[in-house]
Amino acid sequence: MLKPYGRALVKLAGQRNDIVCLSGDLTRQCEVDLFQERFPERFVHAGMAEANMIGMAGAMARRGFVPFVHTFGVFATRRPLDQIINAVAYPRLPVRIVGFMPGISSPGGPSHQAIDDVALMRALPNMTVVDLADATEIEKAIPVIADVDGPVYLRLKRGEIPVVFDHDHEFSLDRARVLRSGTDVAIFASGMMVPTAIAAASTLADEGVDVSLVDVPVIKPLDIETVIEVATSARAVITAENHSVIGGLGSAVAEAMAEAGIGRRLRRIGVQDTFAEGAKTADSLFRKYSLTTDDIVSAAWSLSDRPGPAPKTPGLDTVAGEYSPV
Amino acid sequence: MDDTVEFADRIRLLATRMIARQGFGYLGQAMSSAELIASLYCGPYRPDRDELVCSPGHYVIGFYAAACEIGLLDESALDTYGDDGSHLEAIGTEQSPGVDLTTGSLGQGLSGAVGLALAHRMHGNTDSRVFALVSDGELEEGQVWEAALFAAHNQLSSLVVIIDANDSQVDGPVSTITTLDPIADKWRSFGWDAFDIDGHDVDEVSDALQKAITSDRPAVVIGRTSTTHGISLPDGVDGHFIKLPQDVAGSAIAELERRLA
Repeated sequence: MLKPYGRALVKLAGQRNDIVCLSGDLTRQCEVDLFQERFPERFVHAGMAEANMIGMAGAMARRGFVPFVHTFGVFATRRPLDQIINAVAYPRLPVRIVGFMPGISSPGGPSHQAIDDVALMRALPNMTVVDLADATEIEKAIPVIADVDGPVYLRLKRGEIPVVFDHDHEFSLDRARVLRSGTDVAIFASGMMVPTAIAAASTLADEGVDVSLVDVPVIKPLDIETVIEVATSARAVITAENHSVIGGLGSAVAEAMAEAGIGRRLRRIGVQDTFAEGAKTADSLFRKYSLTTDDIVSAAWSLSDRPGPAPKTPGLDTVAGEYSPV
Repeated sequence: MDDTVEFADRIRLLATRMIARQGFGYLGQAMSSAELIASLYCGPYRPDRDELVCSPGHYVIGFYAAACEIGLLDESALDTYGDDGSHLEAIGTEQSPGVDLTTGSLGQGLSGAVGLALAHRMHGNTDSRVFALVSDGELEEGQVWEAALFAAHNQLSSLVVIIDANDSQVDGPVSTITTLDPIADKWRSFGWDAFDIDGHDVDEVSDALQKAITSDRPAVVIGRTSTTHGISLPDGVDGHFIKLPQDVAGSAIAELERRLA
């Protein structure tokens, strides 16, 4: 599906006059060309000037607006980090920072690959961090996010957005969503890795591995209760994120398990503390950096002490909607 | 000057071939900067001792082509441009050949160029110059102006900036997003020498570069350019990142080959 976020924001802005939209020279790529067309008086071309954009958004929030700020995840978090801290997070203002093109879904090289945005934003007091999995979750989440008391970092895939969940899927800021329950291995996934984890869980179930699968769209504040409950009921735990294994979902789950005294083996699927590189296709990067269905299956297979090679899941890992790095 | 004109068209030809293989990419950047880069290579730039900074990593395609033209890069390497596993990435990185420094996160290259100039000064090296290509869109980033203030205050006269003022950024013409003009007056007020010229006229570019390298201040050459200069493309095939259909690519390549014959 194309532009579910852009449509959801337009719908919300039709209901609420306090929603304003700022764009850092990536208007169409962040789906807010739809907003610009519909509400030009509430659309701001901030240009390629992220520090200024965040500073303005913070001040607009002080005067009653709910600014949604748009650029790629790298530029949304790395460039204006100090401005986010001082102009938004510390004064706890309702700015929604929307970073597109997560992790290695960009073939544009290290400058365009947001492998640390969740870690950077999760470290900030007051910040809510959300990494959404599909078009349904996006549609449900936007009105909820608009009401958060404080700043939000929202991480979104760019281009073609998969539809994974039925329309009755509900987005909750407080509850992670248990998609299946099992006793061998518990898998926690966020964002783009949720469809991958669903496919892996299906393959594992077919081969007799009893898996739990949890969609964790809100990485901070983490639903610790669900994480501990599900982790406790399994013999081993896997996290899957399109992000560095340092500071994101894997770290958050590990911290929760350790603090609760849950001794379970843990395997973190993600970018293993390395920069990636430019490529022609994101698909090749997901394979090279071991973020595929087969990688999750393989981790679960070894954690559950199954003999022999892990089963393969053919033909599932093409990232739909290839796009330019810009 | 015929050599410079030909060098510029060779950049266009090699860049179009690279983009044609991919079917998409940063063609407009190569078209607008071709004479600026060619005038550097056919003029003051000495690869053995000068530093070359490509601030906007998306422009690195032109530098791959230029490096190939002077024999620093094998032409067959260009066939891998943008491919999975290639070290000729579409957006410049740490492994990009042909330049001393580049970054895909825009607006950071001038600080790097200032740092290189400072390093040469601190080493007592008065011979090396630093040339930095900067795009007009990058002037929206505050860091560029921080670097400009520093360079003038510290009288880094070995530094020469070439701005490709092609009036193009992702969201459209730069002038519709941010008013940059008068660009030259801004740099002059910061303490730089500034030359505002037609960036496709190799005589004007070469003359401005000559004045820039002999200036006792940091100097900037502002080349007014177009992303569609020197190549016939259908309407709408311009901008920051373009799709280049095979038939359009074929006729563009044929046109450039004819001109170079």
